[in-house]
Amino acid sequence: MIRLSALLVTLALNMPAAAGEPAAFGVDSLEAIKSRHTGRPFILGLWSVNWCGHCIAELTMLGRLVKSGQALPLVLVSTDTPESAAAIESTLKRLGLAQQESWVFDDDVPERLRHTIDPAWRGELPRSYLYDASHRRETVTGVLDESILKNWLKRQR
Amino acid sequence: MLRLFHRAVRWSLLSLLGIAAAAQGHSPLAEPQSDAKARAPKSTLAVGAALDGEGRLWLARVENQRLLVARSEDGGVRFSNPIMVTSEPENIAADGENRPRIAVARDGTVLLAWVQALPQRFTANIRFSRSTDDGKTFSTPVTLNDDGRVGGHSFASMALDSAGRVAIVWLDGRDRDAVCEQGGKFAGSSVYLALSSDYGARFSANHALTRHTCECCRTALTWTPQGPVAFWRNLYDGSIRDFALAYLDDGQVKRASDDQWRIEACPHHGGDIATDTRGGLHLVWFTNGATRQGLFYKRVDGVHESAPLSFGDAAAQAGHPAVAVAGDTVVLTWREFDGMAYAAWAMRSDDGGVAWGAPQRLAKSAGAADYPQPLSDGSRIRVVWNSAREGLRVLSLDEPAAARRAEK
Repeated sequence: MIRLSALLVTLALNMPAAAGEPAAFGVDSLEAIKSRHTGRPFILGLWSVNWCGHCIAELTMLGRLVKSGQALPLVLVSTDTPESAAAIESTLKRLGLAQQESWVFDDDVPERLRHTIDPAWRGELPRSYLYDASHRRETVTGVLDESILKNWLKRQR
Repeated sequence: MLRLFHRAVRWSLLSLLGIAAAAQGHSPLAEPQSDAKARAPKSTLAVGAALDGEGRLWLARVENQRLLVARSEDGGVRFSNPIMVTSEPENIAADGENRPRIAVARDGTVLLAWVQALPQRFTANIRFSRSTDDGKTFSTPVTLNDDGRVGGHSFASMALDSAGRVAIVWLDGRDRDAVCEQGGKFAGSSVYLALSSDYGARFSANHALTRHTCECCRTALTWTPQGPVAFWRNLYDGSIRDFALAYLDDGQVKRASDDQWRIEACPHHGGDIATDTRGGLHLVWFTNGATRQGLFYKRVDGVHESAPLSFGDAAAQAGHPAVAVAGDTVVLTWREFDGMAYAAWAMRSDDGGVAWGAPQRLAKSAGAADYPQPLSDGSRIRVVWNSAREGLRVLSLDEPAAARRAEK
């Protein structure tokens, strides 16, 4: 019961409204995201607005897919800090991803959050986890390949 | 529940502050003053530190967009009043793999190099200042990159010899930008350098050392009897992110690791290099390649290279290694995270890097923390570690016990 109410608070306060500023990603956030996507596939896309050209390359590709009408169940999580919220928001807007679910790491110890996502992840970016409807996931390190992504999306229908 | 609520409120306040700062044209990286106690200024935890010839500890750190220098005569217990190096506010990179670099020349000149992030994404300048009066005053900072472009110049490192020569290297985006502006494609960044022969009073024009390097890992630099040697994560075959080294005076680039780490990603995880009095090189680095994974050390003596020695606990995210040498003693440091807290780790060799003692956990921190750095004054090694809760700590390793033979 206590856990449920904590979850509800998380959902109410920390879930991204729609477009706009990124929500704060904490140690419970991945579970909250999975709950919200129960029975549905989603793409957990980890990126950084600071010092990551490959992240911008990947987001540019994703923005192009969205613009072409491709339905993308994207959950974008920036591994920066809330201080970068304005830069995150403007970057996603510029790349045509303003309508996507957006989060930003909010912990003085980012390893703690990395640990909740994947203890084996050493911080390389971009990094993606492709969750199918039953939330089995595939890990992709580095820029998502567009054809691999499209094949994965086809399999989710 | 209360904690979650506080987190949410804190986050909203931060957002408001961020928006207000952006509206005034300031950088969003500015530390929100009202929240300084609740939230440590994580973005400036990466400090520069050096021991001078008299064993004094010099510290360069960033506070409120200013670069400050202080020194300690008692091994880090008390520090002098900090002197402000930058008279104007600058958005100085002091987080992760970017840190201010400080070095003290044999004649007492104090040299500083740092990265000034600019408002445009991935752009920055390499800045330099020095003191010729034992750190009482500092010269007006100058920008070392001479391409006159708003572009990528970052991840600087610095080394000097005992006769006034200074080398500074950094990752530079000018070649990539020039190619991309012509509609072409360019893999990675470049390594550029500037040299001085008068303790940093004047620098040469910038030189390109090499093109097609990884973009977001720190560079490292050491001064050997054969001049300065740089070490950085390079690009091989377009996307293999293994390490290279180069003697700057002859400009020859040599592959330093063969790990076959092929990824289109930013590891944000560089290496380090130090030299012994005979000119032997001591390398440490991180890889997640097909050949090997984790932290590794090796010696390079001319054409002879030792086999890579694995160290650190990969299950505890051992990372961001550094190396220092004093006489026959070689010290490696790195950081681990056990799921709850960070720890600074070290291990030592007392025979020039052949046999190694057991890894030693030097200190823990439950909050945000910098990477530990070993410092040498030529005769002994101290480890400095900065963390949000505990502040700067100066740590020593245990004296050598039964050293085990390094794995061949």
